[in-house]
Amino acid sequence: MPRLLRALTIATVLGFAATLYLGLFAAGTDIQQGAVQRIFYIHMPAFFGAFTAFGLSLFGGIMVLAGKSADWDKLALAGVEVGLAFALINLLTGAIWARPIWNTWWTWDPRLTSAAIMCLTYAAYLMLRAGFDDTERRRTFMSVYSILGFVTVLITLFIIRIVPETIHPVIVGASPQNAQGSFEATSGVMLALAPSLLLWLTLMPITLMWHRYRLEDRLESLNRAKLKALSE
Amino acid sequence: MTARLLKACALVFVLLLALGGAAAQDSVQTVPYLQTSGFNVPVLAGWDNQSTDAIAQFYSAEYKATIRAQIVALEDPPAAARTVLASWLDIETGPPVYNGKVNLADGTWHVLAFDINAATTASVMARRHGQGSVVISFVEAAPEARTMLLTLAQTDDALNTAAPEIDLALDPFAGVELAQLDDAGNIDMPSGQWQVYERPRLRALGMVFGNDSYIALQEGELGNLAALADAYNRTLLGFFVTPDNSLYLALGLAAAFAVLGLLVLSFFWRSRGIQQELALIETLTSDEE
Amino acid sequence: MKTSYVAAVLAIAGKDLRVELRSRELLSLMLIFALLSILVFSFALELDRVAREEAVSGVLWVTLIFASLLGLNRSLAQEYDQGNLDALLLAPLSRTAIFIGKFAGNALFTGLVALLLLPLMTALYGKNMLDPRLVLTTLVGIAGFCALGTLMATLTVKTRAREALLPVAMMPLALPFLLTAVRATKGILTNATEWQAWFQLLAGVALIYLVLCLLLFRFVVEE
Repeated sequence: MPRLLRALTIATVLGFAATLYLGLFAAGTDIQQGAVQRIFYIHMPAFFGAFTAFGLSLFGGIMVLAGKSADWDKLALAGVEVGLAFALINLLTGAIWARPIWNTWWTWDPRLTSAAIMCLTYAAYLMLRAGFDDTERRRTFMSVYSILGFVTVLITLFIIRIVPETIHPVIVGASPQNAQGSFEATSGVMLALAPSLLLWLTLMPITLMWHRYRLEDRLESLNRAKLKALSE
Repeated sequence: MTARLLKACALVFVLLLALGGAAAQDSVQTVPYLQTSGFNVPVLAGWDNQSTDAIAQFYSAEYKATIRAQIVALEDPPAAARTVLASWLDIETGPPVYNGKVNLADGTWHVLAFDINAATTASVMARRHGQGSVVISFVEAAPEARTMLLTLAQTDDALNTAAPEIDLALDPFAGVELAQLDDAGNIDMPSGQWQVYERPRLRALGMVFGNDSYIALQEGELGNLAALADAYNRTLLGFFVTPDNSLYLALGLAAAFAVLGLLVLSFFWRSRGIQQELALIETLTSDEE
Repeated sequence: MKTSYVAAVLAIAGKDLRVELRSRELLSLMLIFALLSILVFSFALELDRVAREEAVSGVLWVTLIFASLLGLNRSLAQEYDQGNLDALLLAPLSRTAIFIGKFAGNALFTGLVALLLLPLMTALYGKNMLDPRLVLTTLVGIAGFCALGTLMATLTVKTRAREALLPVAMMPLALPFLLTAVRATKGILTNATEWQAWFQLLAGVALIYLVLCLLLFRFVVEE
């Protein structure tokens, strides 16, 4: 393992532990939503982590199509796999939060629907990728697909602005019973959210993707070794 | 074309980061709230905060009135209400002047009003909460006036007036009908617009919120009834219990850890599989040699 | 001799049309599928009067999308299997012209199916589906969907399980069309003003995909 990757891995694990501490203990309990509001410190950063990963995947796709090194395809694949895991965390934690707060696991709200579509799109990426035998063709075609797929990420991000009827909160809302206006429900939201957001935006996806990239490298060298052994 | 695309991507990325930061900014007007160990109520501005860890209590020397909210370990709300008054005022309460029930958004509340002694009157609302009862009480100790604060379900929720319920409440309180009072217009308070009816030495206030009428009645030397009604109303509507849903938090954390764990484990398994195959190929090729 | 761009587009679309006119294979297949789908939906959803009004826009779009998937698969599979695609690529033609030609052919067939479906559904479901706004929404939706479909079919035609992979790879990407088109159609049918917002969204998504597919098509055919 390269030294830098080892350092990154350690930093990510420590950072994750620190943001968990901040979110679970340092921030105050939301007096309105109760303890479950703390899921938010994972839920929202996980989406932005997926955004980084899918964004890097888009970037890898563009580089492949621009005729750059074939290694960019490995980056795209790593981005899809890690991003899909993050998007899944985003969906799951959202559903678990919604159960006590909205009284339902799932609702066909525009934002939730588009997030689910995003997940399906990248799940389809992995399936489609497995359908190609020719690696060179696969590289080009999957790059095309990763560019198309990123449209669903953008739609998920901007759908609140396009379709304002969403019930998905921007941040903790006002009390349903409090007719006199809103109030400070939680203390230390930004204290817990900002570091977590930063971690999921940068360290988490980069470290995990690097590990995935190395795995793909090794897989390729295995395939080469197999071919060599067969031809001998 | 690639360079331009890249630049556009970078721009979009930075823009989105800024948007995310902007979305996370909390810019709502805030109302100060009191958090006790079991529940939350708004802090009443201008009232003396006498709260302890388990009891929220606000006292106004000007009106000689106290508003108190607490949770008692008694499952019967009326009994809980009497217990609160008994331990607080150190007296046994007699039969209530008014006794009723009303369904609000957070459950069925029992509404009780008592004449404690010549100077003191008490209005109490109580509802079941888990193994105990929530009791929100209003005690007024001015010798020159009697005050009663009630909540009644609207007899006809299509109406936007509290007049029928004021009429209902006036009878047990003073033995009069609404028709014997004059309409004195409306008064605006932070809690909403209250209708005022009065005659010498008797005043009635009413406000509709949801499908319920909030009523305030006062007899004797008339003071600032609207301020009292407003404060009690705010406590009632602003009261809520923080839900206990830490199990869902645990479930959410477990889900996040499970997905991350599976991802890392799959990296590990695949990497081990590759290593094993490589070792196998190596032994096979070296055997041939 | 270099064929002009428009002539090339017309020639490719015209070729598809002539082949179709001779065999009437694809269009009749799509039409029969669409009819069956409408019947199946009526039975499966037990559409009474109220349910019909709620579900009719969904039925229309699901039917159209699956019918066009059927057409897309066959149209590209034919080109690929008979080596036409390679021949087209050898010709001194712009790649975008090939894309637009194939796209125009596919959109034309699906559009035809839609135009036959709309009066039929008007008769069957007792709703006026021939509203000009609805026809416009349908055509815009089909245009966007077929742009994406032409690219995706070209992409999946070279995979092992192409018939199965096209819907799997394409449906998530096409869901923005389905979502906005269904909402716009519903808005038109119930005379709600919100149809405009959904229609604009649909047109926007269609435009984005059209441009993206146009730009990306050359990577899918160049090897």
